[in-house]
Amino acid sequence: MKKFMFKIYMIGFMVLTVYFMIMIWNVTFAHIYEEYHNRQEIEKIVELKKTMQKKAKQTTFEKIIIQSEERVKHYLGYRILDEARIEGHFHHIGFDVGPDNRSYCIDCHGDIPHDKAKDLRAFLNMHAFFISCQTCHVQLEGDKKTGVFKWYDRGTGEIIPSPVLTGSPGAYRAKIIPFENVNGKPMRIDSKERIAFAKENRERESELTEPQKSKAKKIIHNIVSEKPHICSDCHQKDNPLLPLASLGYSQDRIDLILSTEVVGMIDKYTNFYMPRMLHPGSPGNGKE
Amino acid sequence: MSTTYIRKFRYAGIVMFLMLCMLAGTSASPADASDITNCLLCHKYPGISRVDEEGKLRLFYVNEDVFNNSVHMKVKCEGCHTDIKKIPHDTAKKVDCLVECHITEPSTETKFSHRDVATYLEKSVHSTKDEKGQPKEFAEDLPSCKECHDNPLYRPLSFFKSQTPGISEDALGRCRTCHKKEEFIYRFYNHITSRLHKTRIPLNIAEVCARCHDNPDIVARHNLSTRAAFSYGETFHGKAAKYLSEKIPDCLDCHVKKGTSVHQMLSHEDPRSSIHKNNRSNICSNTDCHPDASQKLSNYAVHAEFNLEQSKTHYFFTLFFIMLTGGTLLPLMGIIFLDLVRRFFPNASMKRRKK
Repeated sequence: MKKFMFKIYMIGFMVLTVYFMIMIWNVTFAHIYEEYHNRQEIEKIVELKKTMQKKAKQTTFEKIIIQSEERVKHYLGYRILDEARIEGHFHHIGFDVGPDNRSYCIDCHGDIPHDKAKDLRAFLNMHAFFISCQTCHVQLEGDKKTGVFKWYDRGTGEIIPSPVLTGSPGAYRAKIIPFENVNGKPMRIDSKERIAFAKENRERESELTEPQKSKAKKIIHNIVSEKPHICSDCHQKDNPLLPLASLGYSQDRIDLILSTEVVGMIDKYTNFYMPRMLHPGSPGNGKE
Repeated sequence: MSTTYIRKFRYAGIVMFLMLCMLAGTSASPADASDITNCLLCHKYPGISRVDEEGKLRLFYVNEDVFNNSVHMKVKCEGCHTDIKKIPHDTAKKVDCLVECHITEPSTETKFSHRDVATYLEKSVHSTKDEKGQPKEFAEDLPSCKECHDNPLYRPLSFFKSQTPGISEDALGRCRTCHKKEEFIYRFYNHITSRLHKTRIPLNIAEVCARCHDNPDIVARHNLSTRAAFSYGETFHGKAAKYLSEKIPDCLDCHVKKGTSVHQMLSHEDPRSSIHKNNRSNICSNTDCHPDASQKLSNYAVHAEFNLEQSKTHYFFTLFFIMLTGGTLLPLMGIIFLDLVRRFFPNASMKRRKK
């Protein structure tokens, strides 16, 4: 036992020594190495002075995309507010939702896909935060239609119980996904086969010929309806598309979603703007 | 139970109900006060956003909880977004921070505005115009309000027994003795105690300055001699800031004259500036920092970088100590490690044993 304890003690001491060696390395020679690179950057600045005007207009992927995201920790004493910072944005965000690891649509279309219908795009993106693309963009009809919708976790992709009662509105870390009828069984529409197909297309896109690319694109999008569901398909009291109660919404929230306030606002948009949405691709409008 | 008792209970019940109604009225959340037009009906959803034509993310989400802990908690949405008159609204215009909002400034009882801040800024080194009123070169690099400020958050302090972060319930209890409105007590307490110290810690202040002063493009365009926040981070003060110390000086402590607005930051060439060569000694030797410091203390190269061209003395001095520290401690640690290996394997040998 004594021998065993001695060996444990020795191993512990060795680990501690190695830890200190790494630490000393980091604050001494590694520091010099880091400084050397910083100096290189300063030299770059000197070079930059010579090509000031040109450099000012230079736009690179690194600058625009990679360096554009910044995180800030606000130390308030009683709490630390750790959040993403958007340049020029005044209000605090205050939380992170995390990426949707299940959706294969956002790999190409992004998390904020709507940008064509000027008056609706922010609302559409707001809904895209907790409603999967297929919910609106796939109109299941006939035998395929099940009327079943469930929540899935953005991180794991697994079907989960309704997060509505425990989360803040729209910030559920989950999305609604429709189920389609496959051989008499309700199956989620974002099946593993469809995900695998889209993934392989992305990975092998560079080796495909133009006709092959078009074919793959067509197959991936063959479930997408030309006309998506519109706001009033859900925001209506008579037979709304989404079964809000079974999705876990309380009666108060259902009343709000179907309230005159919300439905009335949609009506205003519908009267003035919606017809453009109903004709995607028409001149001056883009297909969402 | 007699009917008199029942009546008494009934009256007591009615009185309690009325009191609860009054209480419910007084304890309305601060957001209710700000959001009388129910903007949060839509703007409470985090996903309400779009990517604009220039590729910038435009987020229209307002986090209600965080907003209610900000200095603007009492300002109504349309106080800043003045062009929004109806719902659904058209594309909102950019907020003008100098607009007069509905808040009344209590000392003058006039409508509140940030106009004075703009006046200070116009006279500072960050002004977009020079002394002659002409636009400066690369004026677009110079900061406007939102370059430095997001919505400032309260950082309340509790002073009841000792100074700690947060709200002192005991102190709130004292407020309640005279003041009845919870929202007022909460806001007033937060405002006063947040203003008794800085609303941002030195690290956060350095991060804000670093966005421009560590940006190589801006440093080059404006011919600045150093990356200010980076070189600050190399000093003792900067290291302490990284460990979240609030007792060490940040950028504003040295670059702004005591008792003036932080927006009145002047060039080091301006004789009125706190960092002008004639005034520098007052920075270090002020009563909060090093009151017994000599005049020479402030003449050291505060923003010297580890750069041979910028400062040979600083460069070789730093290099010597780094080499000395690493050159001594690393072999020492190596020897200790080898000693431990020997103790662990006392009979181990690199040579092959003879059979």
